Amino acid sequence: MSTTQGVAARDIQANPYHPWPARITSITNLTDKEKLFELRLIDEDVREAFEFQSGQFVELSIFGVGEAPISISSAPSKQGFIELCVRDSGDVTGALHAKQCGDVVGLRGPYGRGFPFEEMKGHDVLLVAGGLGIAPLKSLINHIHDERHEFGKVTILYGSRNPAEVLFRYQFDMWKHRDDFDLILTVDQPDDTWDGETGLVTKLFDQIDVDPDNTYGAICGPPVMYKYVIDEMRKKDMDVDRIYVSFERRMKCGIGKCGHCGVGHQYTCVDGPVFNYWEAMNLQGAI
Amino acid sequence: MFFRVIDKVRLPDLVRGLATEYEVIAPVEKDGRFVYAPLEDPGLLRLDYDTTLLPPKKWFFPAEETLMRFRVADNEVLNDEVAVAPRVLFGLHPCDINALLLMDNVFTGKYPDPYYMRRREKTLLIGVSCTPSDTCFCNVWDTNEVHWGFDVFLTDMGDRYFASCRTVKGAEIIDRFVENRAVIDEDTREFQSVVHDFKDAFHRDVDTTQLPVLLDAKFDSPIWDEFGEKCLSCGACSMVCPTCYCFDVHDRLDPDQKSGVRARTWDSCQFKEFAAVAHGQNFRDSRASRVKYRYYHKQWGYLSKFERVLCVGCGRCARACPAGINPVNVIAALQTGEVR
Ligand SMILES: Cc1cc2nc3c(=O)[nH]c(=O)nc-3n(C[C@H](O)[C@H](O)[C@H](O)COP(=O)(O)OP(=O)(O)OC[C@H]3O[C@@H](n4cnc5c(N)ncnc54)[C@H](O)[C@@H]3O)c2cc1C
Ligand code: SF4
Ligand code: SF4
Ligand code: FES
Repeated sequence: MSTTQGVAARDIQANPYHPWPARITSITNLTDKEKLFELRLIDEDVREAFEFQSGQFVELSIFGVGEAPISISSAPSKQGFIELCVRDSGDVTGALHAKQCGDVVGLRGPYGRGFPFEEMKGHDVLLVAGGLGIAPLKSLINHIHDERHEFGKVTILYGSRNPAEVLFRYQFDMWKHRDDFDLILTVDQPDDTWDGETGLVTKLFDQIDVDPDNTYGAICGPPVMYKYVIDEMRKKDMDVDRIYVSFERRMKCGIGKCGHCGVGHQYTCVDGPVFNYWEAMNLQGAI
Repeated sequence: MFFRVIDKVRLPDLVRGLATEYEVIAPVEKDGRFVYAPLEDPGLLRLDYDTTLLPPKKWFFPAEETLMRFRVADNEVLNDEVAVAPRVLFGLHPCDINALLLMDNVFTGKYPDPYYMRRREKTLLIGVSCTPSDTCFCNVWDTNEVHWGFDVFLTDMGDRYFASCRTVKGAEIIDRFVENRAVIDEDTREFQSVVHDFKDAFHRDVDTTQLPVLLDAKFDSPIWDEFGEKCLSCGACSMVCPTCYCFDVHDRLDPDQKSGVRARTWDSCQFKEFAAVAHGQNFRDSRASRVKYRYYHKQWGYLSKFERVLCVGCGRCARACPAGINPVNVIAALQTGEVR
């Protein structure tokens, strides 16, 4: 048995439940319900030890309220700061939304298994997001952007309910004119300002060409979306073990102990949240 | 291992000796049932108990415990030290020692849990042999034998105990606190005979062949609806289970609202909101899905990581369940497709 002597508060590894103070360095209002928070871990040692992969998450801690798992939205290539794209959907996320720039919150992590960035290199990438599912994919998109020459064709399909709910629209509007990213946005309910596609994200598959032997897929969105997007990818003959999905489950600890995040025979927090579709097919009740 | 023989009449000496240096927790009678409690007087020790209401897990993983004190203003941890006093858990049956070994797998690993681990390190375990009761089915999982995880294990041989000392600490306490002698051939023969009789005393059997495969292949079996109909989602099965470790975490503010504690409490996958997430979604909304999950995780999820099932056959859940759900029947139903 390993020994855990004298749980010193300064020892980063000693207590995995210990959240580390992080200062909010900027807040961007993205939509009515979502804000983008940029955070900086205050302790230099903790900050330097914090290395993550796209697709991993943190436990955001606001003492007196609680903790919530949140995907990291910024790329690992962005040093010293991390970004969280958070919807106000309850106690902790609501308390975060009430914070101001300069306030301090807590973070622990990074946790879980992210997207296989290294493995994806040298291939085409097809990323499909629905709603808030863009949050973890944004990290991957930015990371690919920073090492763009390592990848083949990069296609991003992003569906939202209506134009007001499109996240990162300022950035995506600019990207529309780039020829190194094929970006297609769609909304279910368009308005007068909308010049993109309308309808469900699955409809966009008619417009894209996929090289089935050379493409990695990544999907994140509301639970109902997975099955339909995977069907489309399978119709394009993509391999089951090159399609990656990211799951949301209830989480309390983030470190494989509290049991809340069980999916099939696995725990989402440590075995996921990113699984390939072959693994996900073997998780009873996952999709 | 190092073996000694202790005269049964000498056992109170051991308890009294331990009490000078440790808090002694042992099975005592309470309202006709047995519980692990601090032993005030060696005369109250009941090594003839069948099983305790609650398993020994609470001495390592309490039903509620403070993880840390915090200050709200700067979101700082004020204190997350784990204060533990040296303790002896006296009189654990093989199933309960095996259960702790299963718990250890969860609370160690990549993220060791300091709260559980500190108590584990500061606690001596003294096991004692048992007589199977009618709800025991540890034989099914081979958890009626235990080979490590204890400091001393006492096998009852009528007028004397065969003491197996697993650790240095265990050998030390036997030598220091109780008159003992070396083992002679006759003791070893008697030991063999006693443990064989013990193995022969089990009559309960259930077919566990290919359980993980069956759990997957029969995932949509109607037996789960039948068990779901019976289950009341009371969570008693998880609370009394020596291997159930799920917990909830919540913050409690002090009256001044400036500081408070973050605490964890036992939780159960049988509670409706256990897998609920934001926006009204619940991944295990139906009772059937939750009862199924308890077995699915114990006999397959845990096994996929640690190569053992997360059950030691202690029968506590069967005794506690107001709906009469018994794991032996659940496993049998999975094999036969019929709920009895
Ligand atoms: C890996 C992962 C990554 C995530 N990434 C992001 C992200 O990038 N951005 C983001 O905004 N969100 C993300 N989430 C979702 C976020 O963690 C949840 O929305 C979380 O519930 C928010 O916590 P909260 O305290 O604000 O909400 P809570 O106060 O916990 O409540 C939210 C809702 O959950 C339900 N609920 C909570 N407790 C109970 C209960 N006891 N019984 C029944 N229902 C209950 C209710 O419907 C409630 O309205 C992620 C989740 C996971 C697992
Ligand atoms: S599931 Fe039931 S029989 Fe198995 S260890 Fe838990 S309480 Fe004991
Ligand atoms: S003790 Fe019985 S009724 Fe209560 S949750 Fe467990 S299986 Fe259901
Ligand atoms: S969140 Fe606690 S086990 Fe996964």
